[in-house]
Amino acid sequence: MTGASSQLALRVAELRAAFDRAFAAPVRTGAAVRHDLLAIRVDAEPCAIRLSEVGGLFADRRVTPIPASDAALIGIAGFRGAIVPVYGLRAVLGQAPHQEVPRWLVTAVTAPVALAFDLFEGHLRVPADAILPQQSPERLRSYAPEFVRSADAVRPVLHLPSIIAALENARTVFSMRSEP
Amino acid sequence: MSIFSNWTVGRRLVAGFGLSALTVVLIAVVSYRNAYLLIENDAWVAHSHEVRTKLADLLSGLKDTETGQRGYVLTGDEIYLAPYQSGLAAIQTTLADLRKVVSDNPDQSRRLAKLTQPIDDKLAELKQTIDLRRAEGFDAALKVVLTNAGKAYMDQVRAIVAEADQTEQDLLKRRTEEARASADMTQMIIIWGGLIGMVTVCAIGWLITRSLSEQIGAAVGQVRSSSTELQSAANQQASGAKEQATAMTEISTTINELLASSRQIAESAQRVAHNAEATANAARAGHGTVDMTQESISSIRRQVDQIVSHMLELGKKSQEIGAVLDIVSELAEQTNILAINATIEAAGAGEAGKRFAVVAEEIRNLADRVGGSTKEVRVLIEDVRSAVNTTVMATETGSKAVDAGSRQFGDLASAFKQIAGLVATTTDAAREIELSTKQQSTAVEQVNVAVANVTQASMETETSAGQTLQTVSQMAVLSKDLLRIIKPHMAA
Repeated sequence: MTGASSQLALRVAELRAAFDRAFAAPVRTGAAVRHDLLAIRVDAEPCAIRLSEVGGLFADRRVTPIPASDAALIGIAGFRGAIVPVYGLRAVLGQAPHQEVPRWLVTAVTAPVALAFDLFEGHLRVPADAILPQQSPERLRSYAPEFVRSADAVRPVLHLPSIIAALENARTVFSMRSEP
Repeated sequence: MSIFSNWTVGRRLVAGFGLSALTVVLIAVVSYRNAYLLIENDAWVAHSHEVRTKLADLLSGLKDTETGQRGYVLTGDEIYLAPYQSGLAAIQTTLADLRKVVSDNPDQSRRLAKLTQPIDDKLAELKQTIDLRRAEGFDAALKVVLTNAGKAYMDQVRAIVAEADQTEQDLLKRRTEEARASADMTQMIIIWGGLIGMVTVCAIGWLITRSLSEQIGAAVGQVRSSSTELQSAANQQASGAKEQATAMTEISTTINELLASSRQIAESAQRVAHNAEATANAARAGHGTVDMTQESISSIRRQVDQIVSHMLELGKKSQEIGAVLDIVSELAEQTNILAINATIEAAGAGEAGKRFAVVAEEIRNLADRVGGSTKEVRVLIEDVRSAVNTTVMATETGSKAVDAGSRQFGDLASAFKQIAGLVATTTDAAREIELSTKQQSTAVEQVNVAVANVTQASMETETSAGQTLQTVSQMAVLSKDLLRIIKPHMAA
């Protein structure tokens, strides 16, 4: 019991020291380029999203379902005063659509669109050489042209602009079909 | 005959000799009676002769007085009065004797009474004539005589005396006939009674001899047969007595061994009693220990209950810690989300947001670490909860085990009490066994003595059987001799 307490106190001290050191250390310039990614899971498949393509990460947001012909469209939700459509990444990636609204949402930087996924696993900061081009089939490669090798798994890096473009194309095709 | 055959020898002899004696007695009685009657008749005959003699004497006396009176009257000489005087005395004496002897016969008594008056008258006439002769002389006296009064008186007397004598003669005749008849009867009885008695005695003797010969012969035959069987039985008895004596010797040996075993059992029972008593003392001490142990088990039971209560409380607290940890985890997650969003915003701010990006990154790192620590703490809490659950379950299992152990120990205590009671009972039983075994040893000793006596008796029986055999052999010879005496043809 005493050993566990001292180990806990040691960890707290390390955390405090690391936190203080971060502010005490000078700003890193010219260092190696590192990329920030969000580690997520779509269904059970591990994936990653570039943080630079994300406008915001949200949890437990209320999503209002709306009737739609697009299976990927789950509903709409409000983000910072704007109402944006929410798409499920399962349907987007060709998997079985969500039965319930997923807990986790990310908004894209390039367009007012939110994507829902099953699990947020954490933040990844990897060097540039950790991200490699994808050799997967054509459709998946259009959404995830690269993959990243993290400590625990190899994750395809979803390219949000491509996904949003595909969703826009699909919506455009649907609109054209629905016009008389 | 069948009834006669069922009679005993003594009864037959008594009946035979009794019947013979009865015949003799009957003959003797009848003969005695006839002899008695004959003697009595003879007495009556003598009586009749006496009466007739007295009657003759009376007439003779009267004749003497008349003779004296006639001599005196004729002669006047007093010397002739001597017959008169003696006749008077004889008449009085004879009359008195006659009254006595005929007193049993009323007719004769009546005649004698009727005879008194003429005799008195005759004597008075005789006296008158004598007196007249003496006083007045012969003529005066003759005158009286010539009256014939005296002759009349004398005739009356003679007639009455003759009548009485005739009566006595009739009686004599009748009694003579009776005496003859009685003598004839006696003779007949003696002759025929003797013949009948002789025939009866011969018949009875023949019957007794015949029946006794047959029955005694049969009995002797049976005695002979029985003697043979008895001889065989005596042989068997002698052999059996010998075997019995041998067996009793073996039994005596066995009983001696039994006596030794019984003494060993008594010593063992005594040791068992001592051990049982020591066990009873140990059981009493153990009883106190069992009570203390039972109290300790009850204390353990209470402490286990407290442990269970504390563990349940600990589990509840762990659940509360988990709830708090959920909040912390959610806060860390929200912080992480905020840090990520801050990083995004800092990246959007360009160069001005770089330092903010550093802060956001550190906050995110901190949130990550807090999240990691939260996960670790959650794991720890889960471990604690699992350990608590395991402990509670183990404690409940232990509690149940303690309950079961308590019950089992209660049963054990009860069983121990029963054992203590049984040990006490065993002690008593061992003492009773010890006492009984001692009594058994005493009894076995008595049996041993009795067996020795029986052995001695068996030996005596063997000797007695030999003597019996000898006696039976003698009896067989005796029965053969007896049979030879009774039925020679059967003895051959």
